[in-house]
Amino acid sequence: MRWFGFGFNAFGQMYLNEKLIKGECSDGANEVKVISPTELASHANRDESCLKTVCQIRASWSRRASLHLDGDSCVCLAASNESSGISVKDSRGCKDASISESYLTLAFPDRIESWDVQKEEKTPSWSMEIKSESSGASLDLPLVPGGYIATKPPFYRSLSPHLKAKSLALSAGHAILLSESGVVYTWGLGSHGQLGHGGLSSEQEPKIVEALWGMPMSCVATGGWHSVCISGGGDLYVWGWNESGQLGLPSRGLRKSPQQQGSPQEGARCQDPCTSLAEEPQEGEKQEEVFISIQAFPALLDITPSCEIKTVSCGSRHTAAVTTTGDLYTWGWGDYGQLGHRSLTSSDEPQRVEFFREQQLSVVDVVCGAWNTFVAVVKEEVA
Amino acid sequence: MATLWSKISAVLPHNEEQFPLQFSDKVESSVVEMLKRCRQQLYSDTTRTSRLLNAHIILDFSWEKLNTGTWRDVDKEWRRVYSYGCLFKVAALCREDPSADEVLQAVKTCDMGLLMGAAIMDDILQVIVRILQSEVRKSTKEEEESEHSQVKRIKIEGPRVPVIKEELAVPRIKCPSLESFNTDYLLPLKPVILEGIIDHWPALNQHPWSIEYLRSVAGCRTVPVEVGSRYTDEEWSQTLLTVNEFVDRYILNKDGVKASGYLAQHQLFDQIPELKEDIRLPDYCCLGEGDEDNITVNAWFGPGGTVSPLHQDPQLNFLAQVVGSKYIRLYSPEDTDKLYPHQSQLLHNTSQVEVENPDSERFPEFAKAPYLECVLQPGEVLFIPVRHWHYVRSLELSFSVSFWWS
Repeated sequence: MRWFGFGFNAFGQMYLNEKLIKGECSDGANEVKVISPTELASHANRDESCLKTVCQIRASWSRRASLHLDGDSCVCLAASNESSGISVKDSRGCKDASISESYLTLAFPDRIESWDVQKEEKTPSWSMEIKSESSGASLDLPLVPGGYIATKPPFYRSLSPHLKAKSLALSAGHAILLSESGVVYTWGLGSHGQLGHGGLSSEQEPKIVEALWGMPMSCVATGGWHSVCISGGGDLYVWGWNESGQLGLPSRGLRKSPQQQGSPQEGARCQDPCTSLAEEPQEGEKQEEVFISIQAFPALLDITPSCEIKTVSCGSRHTAAVTTTGDLYTWGWGDYGQLGHRSLTSSDEPQRVEFFREQQLSVVDVVCGAWNTFVAVVKEEVA
Repeated sequence: MATLWSKISAVLPHNEEQFPLQFSDKVESSVVEMLKRCRQQLYSDTTRTSRLLNAHIILDFSWEKLNTGTWRDVDKEWRRVYSYGCLFKVAALCREDPSADEVLQAVKTCDMGLLMGAAIMDDILQVIVRILQSEVRKSTKEEEESEHSQVKRIKIEGPRVPVIKEELAVPRIKCPSLESFNTDYLLPLKPVILEGIIDHWPALNQHPWSIEYLRSVAGCRTVPVEVGSRYTDEEWSQTLLTVNEFVDRYILNKDGVKASGYLAQHQLFDQIPELKEDIRLPDYCCLGEGDEDNITVNAWFGPGGTVSPLHQDPQLNFLAQVVGSKYIRLYSPEDTDKLYPHQSQLLHNTSQVEVENPDSERFPEFAKAPYLECVLQPGEVLFIPVRHWHYVRSLELSFSVSFWWS
């Protein structure tokens, strides 16, 4: 398996460029914004042990962690701002990892550790033991037996055992949980419809996304202000904020001139939370065009009628999905090249990333950082 | 003559060491590193593209933080980071002989920082925007002078002034003493129109506010504008426009847009200190318990027909009318049960009733609520006691200034 990356690279998350870091290059744009898929070079890691196959990638805004799970497993950090105290050998034997701007969390068979990546500490800033009897079920971070690990202290938050959590995705403001039976729960900030309950209010406790009731889901993911999930049948559902087209639905933001774009709400006056979800066409626009600003209920997104969606991942304002036929589709914010279409254009329609087809590579997995995208591929089997 | 960049760099710290980048630990080290790269570029040779790119990274990142959670819960540190992003962008735009368009972009960037950011480095964006504005004025002066003769005065149609029933009219008083205002109106919380108390404002005599005057003082400045007839409407939204764009689109209706726009509830005078010099805090505010610094001064500028639905505010209010006239209706907080406030938390201070076209089936009690009304004319100030419900409709091109105090 090989990994490629594209999008935001100001911290050398994809490849290191000494000139970039020192700010010496004549025109840093090409190094900061990787617009074409670029293979992650293992030699960027100075540590010899990192030459092994990368099994998984975890990414935050400025960092990328590579997980090597074959044999003597470990985690390597790739980024120029590596000042953290954790070394590769501290991660020996870990089974999973997650990374934020502040912490690297490692899951070992018998314990969880969170390391402060902003400090040069030789010990984890927080850890907890896992009882051996409960570790039987294999849980993916941020889930841990009895609860989950948050991105900032207090790290451990408990979850009701009734939820029977199978996987969990966290954004800065909200959370989406998938139960063993395929039920989707959301909670946290709801200001942009990201909870999918139909309104804009926030929820303190996990609440079932009722619109998906009766349709078992197999995968959940979350962006900064949007959520997505895949049904057992391989259909993709999206909801939340469509400001950059991250839902793959028509976005007015992409048709406006750049100077008119984007401003958070000013002052104290706000709209009634249950209204103005779809925007009315304005003067000068074609009457049949209806833009979606906020989609407060899950919407089925048809990416390609012929095939199913296998996995999906979200950046802060973009989305990337892999089909069972090995194609990668991306949409949403593209300012940093995170869509992989060899441009800096945002798109409110899912578009196939042609690079992998051209290279006869079959996409098997995708992991998004906030403003970039990492893709696992295998050589396409010749039929 | 000094170049624009030499004027701007003169107000920047002399070198990298003197340029402060201090943040709480809310701001992660990766973000601080990005800020340091921007700072380094400010004092070294690199391309405009690279400078702009790094400034945009700061702006994009802090924009995401500003949009996470409700506005008041956003940590002030992220508003500071946003302001730094604006500062670096302005510096990148103005560094190498900027075009007129780039200068305007820089003004807009300063305004975005002033509107959404928090003050940094002794409010340096305010200092820079003044330098930029004088540059803009220099370049537009010649154009204006040649165009001036052609400027047609906007024809203001005589407004249809509602007839005010005498028994319902808000009482009027000319320049009352502090004591009599206090005992007759402030303490009993009775509305009154104060006449003759703002005649000395430069806005009413020295340089009377007009569209031309606002264009010359603030034309290129970006302000928030409410689009839609009422803030309770579904299609209502907020957008950012320059004062010139706002005047052209919503007051002169140059592009034939039917939607109405209102520069409402904006602290314009903090953003543009020149306009602040044209107004004065009413002396009567000293009767309050609050500090003078806690008086919120808002601008309300728009064409005829703007409507503020019936609502109440948590503070005392002096509404000073500078240009045009407004029809205002007042209801006492004692009659709140007849006014049908919205149920939702965001709009619970706003009535569901369309005051001048009430739905008597849905809101049968409304007709029973007693009220006072008036047409507020230029030079008059309406005292609206705390929590008094008020409905406001402009009858023509109007500019009002409100003072919220306690």
